[in-house]
Amino acid sequence: MPGKIRMLIVAFTLLILTLATGCDQGRPAVTAPPGEQQAQTQQQTGGAAVETVSITVYYATKDAMNLVPEVHVVPKSDKLLNKAVELLLGQPKNDQLVKVLPDGVKLRGINVKDQVAYVDFNDKLIKNNRGGSANEILAVAAIVNTLTEFDEVRKVQILVEGKAVETLTGHVDVSEPLSRSERIIKKAL
Amino acid sequence: MRRIFCFTLLALALVIHFGFAAAAPPAKEKPTVKPPAAKTAAAAITPAAAAGDEKLTQVRWANHTDAVTGVSKLRLVFDTTGPVEVSSETTGSPTPRLVVTVKGATPEDLPESIAFDGKIADSVSISADGNNTVITVETPVMVEEGEYKAFTLRADPANKRPFRVVVDIDKPTPLIFKFTAGLKGKVIAIDPGHGGSDPGAIGPAGNTEKDVNLQVSLKVKVLLEKAGAKVVMTRTGDNDVFGPNASAVEELKARATVANLKKTDVFISIHSNSFSNRTVGGTATYYYQKTRYDALLARSIQAADAQQTGLQNRGAFASNFYVVKRTLMPAALVEMAFLSNPDEEKLLTDPQFQQKIAQGIVTGVENFFAQAAKMGGGR
Repeated sequence: MPGKIRMLIVAFTLLILTLATGCDQGRPAVTAPPGEQQAQTQQQTGGAAVETVSITVYYATKDAMNLVPEVHVVPKSDKLLNKAVELLLGQPKNDQLVKVLPDGVKLRGINVKDQVAYVDFNDKLIKNNRGGSANEILAVAAIVNTLTEFDEVRKVQILVEGKAVETLTGHVDVSEPLSRSERIIKKAL
Repeated sequence: MRRIFCFTLLALALVIHFGFAAAAPPAKEKPTVKPPAAKTAAAAITPAAAAGDEKLTQVRWANHTDAVTGVSKLRLVFDTTGPVEVSSETTGSPTPRLVVTVKGATPEDLPESIAFDGKIADSVSISADGNNTVITVETPVMVEEGEYKAFTLRADPANKRPFRVVVDIDKPTPLIFKFTAGLKGKVIAIDPGHGGSDPGAIGPAGNTEKDVNLQVSLKVKVLLEKAGAKVVMTRTGDNDVFGPNASAVEELKARATVANLKKTDVFISIHSNSFSNRTVGGTATYYYQKTRYDALLARSIQAADAQQTGLQNRGAFASNFYVVKRTLMPAALVEMAFLSNPDEEKLLTDPQFQQKIAQGIVTGVENFFAQAAKMGGGR
């Protein structure tokens, strides 16, 4: 094969490969739940190696229509579910996204039983919510979708002060364990 | 689509570069497989050879409720020893059933029949048919196209999961009503959202959702009565429907019960929306897919309301909302506009604008009955 053509093929292939891998960057890490993900090793400044994992947390678009996954790299620990919810309670990295849980909400605990995560918040989840169904849909879906990113969680039951509640602000029925919703997810901004 | 495109590109690149066919996409734990059309094969995987020596080794099932749409589905999962193909079809006779054929695998140590509660399935039977397995799901009513899917998942060694066959069946949405066109003689429940001890959302200027909801609801009542309909209000004043300081659920149950006891034809809950970002605005309508009419009702109201008001049309959506779920008749929850948006707060408190919204809702309900009359149904 003449060298020029061969070079062209290689260049074309490299271009395609770059494109193909580029596609993956917009995709959330749903394929590899964090619990199962290969841990990456990061070299810290002190020279000590800290194992980290990527976890996916959902925040809302500014128009209150969708949730967008945001990947956070955190130190490996056995409290990754708690870590994910704490990230959900904080601000997103991307300033084009907004958090959907009200200020003052604290996580009381998470317990997984038979693949159902029982996630317990303080009463600010209800009291500090400013009402409006747009907010409530996004809040419920963000909690459920963030926790079902983990392989061991298939459904999520929201608790407030240790008790099951029927609704957060009077619209969404949260009385039973809920499964993840793909409909509300926008893969990338 | 995008994912498939990417893999196609990757495969192409590998073929060019190394001269062998690339592997199929890796297994995905939480699939978002498009539902196959009825009576067509859903072959996510092409078996190397249809030798027919694979086995179905395990069956498990679970009910799932989508966190956003509230759609309930039954998911059956069968483990297989290797790649298989599935095809599926539904029939209404002699009894309603969904038949899934697994090609190239026979059952091994599986129960011949499993009884279910009859909400989504009555029973599931599993039998060998030559080299294939026939899975028959007896359903209470015929499962329609788009209400089920049967597909395969590849083995996922990293998560210790074998090849699988998955059957998803949505909770049935029967045609149990029969409607005529026109508003005359119809009984319509109007539910002004929140009230009494529960103000709902509060606008930047301090207007409460419970007040604007009631003001518009009363205007809807007048318009409907003018057109000859009977209106059942869940509240006509600033009060809790269940009683003072009712719990959220007692309150919502009480609202659904008003309509259920009066056997109204439809139920319309009137609300105002709110979001932390105050620039967000527009109108939206929500429904719970419990009969074949709920989506139609929500879409009719949404279309008419958006047209009347000129507000941003956010759309009609399936939702897991309590009142539209627990009412027995077709129901919609209208989020008229965003009280959290200062401009829309002004509109929501303006009597002229309230009249426009009310007219939009009434036109939407009238259009609904006209469309629903063409759908037949009843039993």
